[in-house]
Amino acid sequence: MKKQSKDVKNRPTSSGRDSKEYFRPKSKKELKEILKNNDILTIIAGGTDLLVSNYQKLYKIDKWLDLDLIDEFKEVKIFDDKIEIGSMVTHDRLVRLEKIKELFPILHSAALDLGSPQIRSRGTIGGNIVTSSPAGDLLPPLLVYDAEVVIISDQEERKVDLNTFFTGPKKNVLKEGEILEKIVIPLKKDKSRGVWKKVGKRKALVISSISLALNIVFDKDNIIKKAKMAIGSAAPVPLRIKSAEEILIGQSLDSIDYIKVAKAAAKQISPIDDIRGTAEYRISVAKNITKSALKEVTK
Amino acid sequence: MDKISVELTVNRKKYKIKVEPDERLLDTLRERLNFTGVKEGCSIGECGACTVILDGKAVNSCMVYTFQVDSSEVITVKGLEIDGKLDPLQRAFIDYQAVQCGFCTPGMLISARALLNQNPNPNREEIKTAIEGNLCRCTGYKQIIKAIESVVKKDRSE
Ligand SMILES: Cc1cc2nc3c(=O)[nH]c(=O)nc-3n(C[C@H](O)[C@H](O)[C@H](O)COP(=O)(O)OP(=O)(O)OC[C@H]3O[C@@H](n4cnc5c(N)ncnc54)[C@H](O)[C@@H]3O)c2cc1C
Ligand code: FES
Ligand code: FES
Repeated sequence: MKKQSKDVKNRPTSSGRDSKEYFRPKSKKELKEILKNNDILTIIAGGTDLLVSNYQKLYKIDKWLDLDLIDEFKEVKIFDDKIEIGSMVTHDRLVRLEKIKELFPILHSAALDLGSPQIRSRGTIGGNIVTSSPAGDLLPPLLVYDAEVVIISDQEERKVDLNTFFTGPKKNVLKEGEILEKIVIPLKKDKSRGVWKKVGKRKALVISSISLALNIVFDKDNIIKKAKMAIGSAAPVPLRIKSAEEILIGQSLDSIDYIKVAKAAAKQISPIDDIRGTAEYRISVAKNITKSALKEVTK
Repeated sequence: MDKISVELTVNRKKYKIKVEPDERLLDTLRERLNFTGVKEGCSIGECGACTVILDGKAVNSCMVYTFQVDSSEVITVKGLEIDGKLDPLQRAFIDYQAVQCGFCTPGMLISARALLNQNPNPNREEIKTAIEGNLCRCTGYKQIIKAIESVVKKDRSE
């Protein structure tokens, strides 16, 4: 399938829209029906990850399941204690949602930075999570906001803490026949301050070399009451840096030992060499990015 | 796999076609419908040469399967010209020498048009962001940005 451009016109014709190999359910109910009756389906959301791997790898797809017509999966719902974001919400929509900008500024910034306008128009939050790339830009922000994901199959529904969702580079706990329906983020009473940092080689289209999300809650005396920090692109999975968080709690703005926090962060990640940077380079970048994020949040 | 029936509107004209399950919008536009103004560069979403407007948004047509866009509306660079009249952006690209080899131009024009349709008064930063996904190896972007700005200013003074 690699060279699609060539002989598209000369392929044999067969039956049309009601193909048994191609599904575009219009509701969650229809989706479950399809899941019940079919084994191997290739799920497609925006397609921005899938088309790249299909173009490069040349493998056969048996049956398509396109989630694009399920309106329930495009909803964003705000409750008193949580916000629910459908898996089919695109990055572009995420950026434009005022509520997200106000309540989850780091998620807003990460979506704003992601890829290019063309990629943001198509790519979805659900696709970003399920791809489970260590470089997935929405993942560190979602981790510091304590996001959970709701996963459905034809008969079951389960909720998974995003912290336990990723199991390795491009690996996660989803099983065959399971679909990511939505993301649930708790709304906290405490006012927090957050920073999103991404260091890469080029501004547009960079798959981040390293990224950091930091969210801090100060008490009324400006002492750090809660701290959440997550790093992307540095380890096999995006991960929370609990050792650094622990050091931060109880500190005041001017008592933070930046070097100590940065060292803890660098120690917890297990960086990998790849085309986007060596492990050593990443450790030093991790230190710098941690320092600059802390300086920014305390400004 | 079987072919899939798709209806779509391209440059204000309706088409009913049957496509391969792995046929990209780029293939459909170029090979099936002959809109060769849409260019294929990298094929993996990085260069923007294949950019079209899909239901109001700039997208890479190499990053979309045609079956995904049933009932949608597509505008290619050819559709920027209406009744033989060039889009003001096309004029400006010529006037400001924003075209050298021309390979990036169709995608660039489309990204700029998608921006102006959503935001008729963008500032320089917004213009830069809008063409972030369009690579140009020749011009260094300066003339392109100036050309787009000239259209914005003209709109403003009208
Ligand atoms: C040029 C380019 C630049 C990019 N830049 C960035 C970047 O800067 N940062 C970044 O993080 N990413 C980037 N990406 C990657 C990509 O755009 C994002 O990860 C995007 O969010 C993927 O979403 P999608 O809807 O397009 O996924 P798809 O390609 O449709 O799907 C991705 C995978 O997830 C599965 N899937 C999707 N949705 C579901 C669901 N609801 N339930 C179960 N399985 C599902 C699919 O089966 C597939 O395996 C870039 C991609 C390209 C091509
Ligand atoms: S050919 Fe589509 S982005 Fe390069
Ligand atoms: S004019 Fe040659 S790539 Fe832009």
